[in-house]
Amino acid sequence: MWPWVFLFAAVVPDFDREIAPILASHCAKCHGGTSQLSGFSVESRDLVISGGKKHGKAVIGGHPETSPLIQMVKGELNPQMPVGKPLAAKDVETLEAWVKSLPAEDSSAKKEWRWPYEKPVRPQGKSVDEFVLAKLKAKGLGLAPEADRRTLARRAYFDLIGLPPTAEEMAEFVREGDFPKLVERLLADPRYGERWGRHWLDLARYGETSGLEGDGAIGNAWRYRDWVIEAFNRDLPYDKFIIQQLGGGDEHSQSRNNYAPNVQGHVPLGFLRLAPWDRSNLVADEVRANYLAEVTAATSSVFLGLTVGCARCHDHKYDPIPQKDYYRWQAFFNTVQVENVTVPYADEAFAEKAKAKIKEIEARLKDGPEKAARDAYEKEALPKLVARRRELAAGKPATIADLRLEMRRKEKSQFSRDEQRHYALVKEDADRTGDPEEKAALDALEKELMARLKLDPARFDVLEVTDLRAEMNNRQSKVFSEAERERHGELTESLQVWQRRLGRWQPVALTVKNVPGPPNGPAIAPVRVLLRGDYRLPGEPVEAGFPTAFTGKAEAAKLETDRYRQFPTRGHRLTLAKWIASKDNPLTARVMANRIWQYHFGTGIVATPSDFGVNGERPTHPELLDWLAHEFMDSGWSIKAMHRKIMLSATYRQSGENPAWEKDTENKLLSRFPRRRLEGEELRDSILYLSGRLNTERGGPSVFPPLPADLADFARYGRGGAAMWEPNERDEDGRRRSIYTFQRRSMPLPMMAAFDAPVFSESCDRRSATTTPLQALAMMNGNLMHEEAAQLAKRVAAESTDRTVQVKRAFSIVLGRAPSAAELERYKGFTGDLAAICRVLLNANEFLYVE
Amino acid sequence: MTRRDWLLQSYLGLGGIALAGQENPLAPKVAHWPARAKSCIFLFMEGGVSQMDLFENKPELVKRAGQRMPQAGNTEGEIATFSAAPNRIIPPIAPLRQWGQSGRWMSELMPALGGVADELAFVHGVKVDNNNHGPAVYHTLTGNQFPGSASVGAWMTYGLGSANRDLPGFVVLGDRRGATIGGAGVWGNGFLPAAYQGTLFRNGDTPIVDLKRPEGMSEGQQRAELDLLQWQNEQHRAGRTNTGELEARIAAYELAFRMQSKAPELVDLNGETAATKKLYGMDDPISEPFGRQCLLARRMVERGVRFVMTLHGAGGDRWDDHGDVKGRIPKHCKEVDQPVGGLIQDLKARGLLDDTLVVWASEMGRTPFDNNLVTDKPGRDHNQYGLAVWMAGGNVKKGATFGETDDFSVRAAGSPIPVRDVHATLLHLMGLEQDRLTYLHAGRYKKLTDIGGRVIKEILA
Repeated sequence: MWPWVFLFAAVVPDFDREIAPILASHCAKCHGGTSQLSGFSVESRDLVISGGKKHGKAVIGGHPETSPLIQMVKGELNPQMPVGKPLAAKDVETLEAWVKSLPAEDSSAKKEWRWPYEKPVRPQGKSVDEFVLAKLKAKGLGLAPEADRRTLARRAYFDLIGLPPTAEEMAEFVREGDFPKLVERLLADPRYGERWGRHWLDLARYGETSGLEGDGAIGNAWRYRDWVIEAFNRDLPYDKFIIQQLGGGDEHSQSRNNYAPNVQGHVPLGFLRLAPWDRSNLVADEVRANYLAEVTAATSSVFLGLTVGCARCHDHKYDPIPQKDYYRWQAFFNTVQVENVTVPYADEAFAEKAKAKIKEIEARLKDGPEKAARDAYEKEALPKLVARRRELAAGKPATIADLRLEMRRKEKSQFSRDEQRHYALVKEDADRTGDPEEKAALDALEKELMARLKLDPARFDVLEVTDLRAEMNNRQSKVFSEAERERHGELTESLQVWQRRLGRWQPVALTVKNVPGPPNGPAIAPVRVLLRGDYRLPGEPVEAGFPTAFTGKAEAAKLETDRYRQFPTRGHRLTLAKWIASKDNPLTARVMANRIWQYHFGTGIVATPSDFGVNGERPTHPELLDWLAHEFMDSGWSIKAMHRKIMLSATYRQSGENPAWEKDTENKLLSRFPRRRLEGEELRDSILYLSGRLNTERGGPSVFPPLPADLADFARYGRGGAAMWEPNERDEDGRRRSIYTFQRRSMPLPMMAAFDAPVFSESCDRRSATTTPLQALAMMNGNLMHEEAAQLAKRVAAESTDRTVQVKRAFSIVLGRAPSAAELERYKGFTGDLAAICRVLLNANEFLYVE
Repeated sequence: MTRRDWLLQSYLGLGGIALAGQENPLAPKVAHWPARAKSCIFLFMEGGVSQMDLFENKPELVKRAGQRMPQAGNTEGEIATFSAAPNRIIPPIAPLRQWGQSGRWMSELMPALGGVADELAFVHGVKVDNNNHGPAVYHTLTGNQFPGSASVGAWMTYGLGSANRDLPGFVVLGDRRGATIGGAGVWGNGFLPAAYQGTLFRNGDTPIVDLKRPEGMSEGQQRAELDLLQWQNEQHRAGRTNTGELEARIAAYELAFRMQSKAPELVDLNGETAATKKLYGMDDPISEPFGRQCLLARRMVERGVRFVMTLHGAGGDRWDDHGDVKGRIPKHCKEVDQPVGGLIQDLKARGLLDDTLVVWASEMGRTPFDNNLVTDKPGRDHNQYGLAVWMAGGNVKKGATFGETDDFSVRAAGSPIPVRDVHATLLHLMGLEQDRLTYLHAGRYKKLTDIGGRVIKEILA
């Protein structure tokens, strides 16, 4: 025995004597007693082995090659540790030897999560219920009993159209109870698209402004919004839905003589433009890198439930996405040029309406009351400008400004026409180029001219309306008072509102185009891997290709370029789109089936719907999801078919109450229908709907619901005084469904923000449902509630003056049921007026929650 | 205890009772380590404060005033400026001098802040990732240059909850001249739940949107309505299981009702003495607006509000001095100096400074050279490498300085300090560790400092 022990001791490093000192001197600063970055600590042997948060177990006994500790000090895992000061080779060897000496563990202990990349196999089974019941039974549970008709109707209405049933509709369903018929009717209702389109807009990070400096409108994003609503309404097959959003304008030439892609394809393509946009950035490379990064992250998470964003800077830490794959994905978008395109309105009736509207607004801009008011004001102010300037200049020595005025005089100028022309040219060159030599030439010329300049008070007569406007914008004006300038600002703004309205009606779509590429245009720089994601550190060039996690190899994708080979830049996006929208893609159908499920049940089968990767939640019912994915594809990617499949199941129709609920408190087994709070949009729309004042117009430019009264001062973006929020043309525009309200990124409606509406800047795959006092304030005191409750009261009072009848009617409108005897009693004794009763009902949990 | 009181207490997480998973998201939470600071006042100067005019003494700039910038060649391609050559050096617009025991250099334009110089710790040469206001503002306030991430205030409120039950945990005091770049986006909850978003306090006696009862409704009337509502909700709740969220909503209405009396009291400054108002510069119309914001900030932290974002500068009144630095910077200074100096003094006098972390930041610094945008009135360009940040209170080391910019104040003389280091330090000073304050979103454990910042130990006590 002795020799063996001796040998062992000689080769195998001892943790305390050899390993601990290495770790203490190189790692303990960040991973020691006071600071355990990433939850990793080298304080003890056990802590070292158990590892940190990022990679879990750091040491796998017997397997240095798969132990994250070794991989990190060797730089095989990013970032190499210790940061900036790699360990000496000798130390690395010592660590390796130690790991090797530990009792061997299964080296596959850190198992890869391959499920997302493997094509779903159609499981045995015929219905949603079969899969759900199997899991429930295994735990000795069953479904809850079927919900009562009233509950079911309310559930289906909110679920499919985002509004409650009317009292009459409710009565009809309670009488008939034909649920399949109800589902069919709601699926055919155009309000369905307004509800489900909203889900998609959440995912598509739909916003209408840049989100950054100035937060100006990015273009007519509403064209995309209307396309989405319409796509849901006509049940556009989901594969086409994807292809159009990524591959619009990218299809083959229609014939050898007709190269033009279908211009309508540019509307859905707005998907690639919806993100915030830093228009004032001065570095083109940076803008481009950021654009490509955003589009890559958005497309992969929305369509594939993959989070590749982190691979911008380094290999994905958890999922098998190398950094290179990230840039290979980007390369599909390398031919993109950000540009809006005129796309005529496809709908004839709407085109007519828009045409009339444009004509009307143009006329108004030309000689409407706003124009007249501003013109009159300016006409009156101009002589004051001339007089005051003259006054201010009196007795002062000549300045460059005086010279410039003199140069502008068409008559009686002391300078000849030629001199004026020459001066104008030199000045234009200097201003345009900013070149020091041009500037020097201008300086010299001005010096020479100044020497000859004779001041004539009549020079101020050349001042015109553009000078006036400049002076009105001058915050240090010595000519006009602040009040005068403000008044001018208001008059200008009231005209500019019409200008913006005009722009919103123009048939221009927010979209992208392809650059021409050779031979029609200059060569396109290849996409390169960017070191640490930094546009200033380009690495190796890459070609467009699909992620290796799917294909197993990093080869370039075969691009579906134009069949007449006229446009080599065409077909890149389309190639990616078709690969995503394919039955062979293991994730596409699953991800969408899971999203549909989530919007019905509140939680997806995979609870992290945009992350099917290692960090995401594991599916609660993987077979069910795979079955749904197959059903989805087999139905021709019909979303409405999925609704039927899900909603007609007993699982969907069950009650929210299961006597055995405590065995499934989180409802992971679906032993009851989950209660959910109405989303902000549903709440606002429903309040308006029940009061009878919802404006049900569909589509078109976005509207501006009134802001809470004194938020208005904050709605002003200082510079230039442009309003962040506009008045509507008509009052009733402010009462349209929330999906049609203008989504200004810096100015969400406070009530929407309080009720967890997304921030419209990043893709939102699931809304929170918080409970806060600010929500209660909006619902107790807010303008919307007060006006609409009063309107509802009016509506009820018009039918009867009897309080008992009124209470009954209010109950049936808001809650879809008759009051109980106890309720009737209590409400009769209530001292408040009918509007107060309506407010109470609209605030009731029974109204705010769907079961 | 009535059922209403019981619910409210449970919602607030008091007395160890909590509604099954539905307690108030703002219930106080235990910090990761026992830091001294309990609240944070974040003074944000929008537009890009000139570090060499206010806080960093660079004799070279005086010596070479008006000369061509010698490093112009090197900076090309690095700082994306608006400038057209030639870039001539602008000396500091007013002399800097040393203040206090610590000998901190600061402009003569900031006498009140100079008076409390020994309380401050500076970090110089902080770097943000973008040289434009929009992304830089987002980067400084949310840790990400693109919209959509959670504000630093949202993170802190998420990590610590709120010590005040009647007010929001994260309050924003805006500049009444207009919204900041990014607007609600920079005090938004981003991917965190909505409960952590900043609440904008407006001017006037109803600071919060919808706080005021509608015209013609008395408190009694509303109480009666609320009683009926809560009775209705009780009817609804009875016979249902798993009712945590329903009970939470009942409690939230009670809390909202209480806020209506507490919040106006908070913004009512009648109880403050003339001397206090003067201390905050409220006797001078130029410094009155920001003085009011700073005084309100103090009243908030007194009442346990966790994070107060206090914004200065909007539109044409930002610190974005591309032209006329001589005319504009003194005005900005006058607007904020007495209010900020007064705030530090007042917090100290009231024994609140130890419990409060005060931070001053802008989204970027400025260039030493003229950007030639306004003829005859030189102005400074954006400089994403030159930001100066200071902190005071809590565990901040008094009079400390870390980092400096080069002789021309173009960029850090040593290693640049990414703004995430500042974020890591702020979290640390509030008792939070950046790596433990995470939120799973889109497949990543998001944190304020993204890839992780370094806690700047050099400015910790």
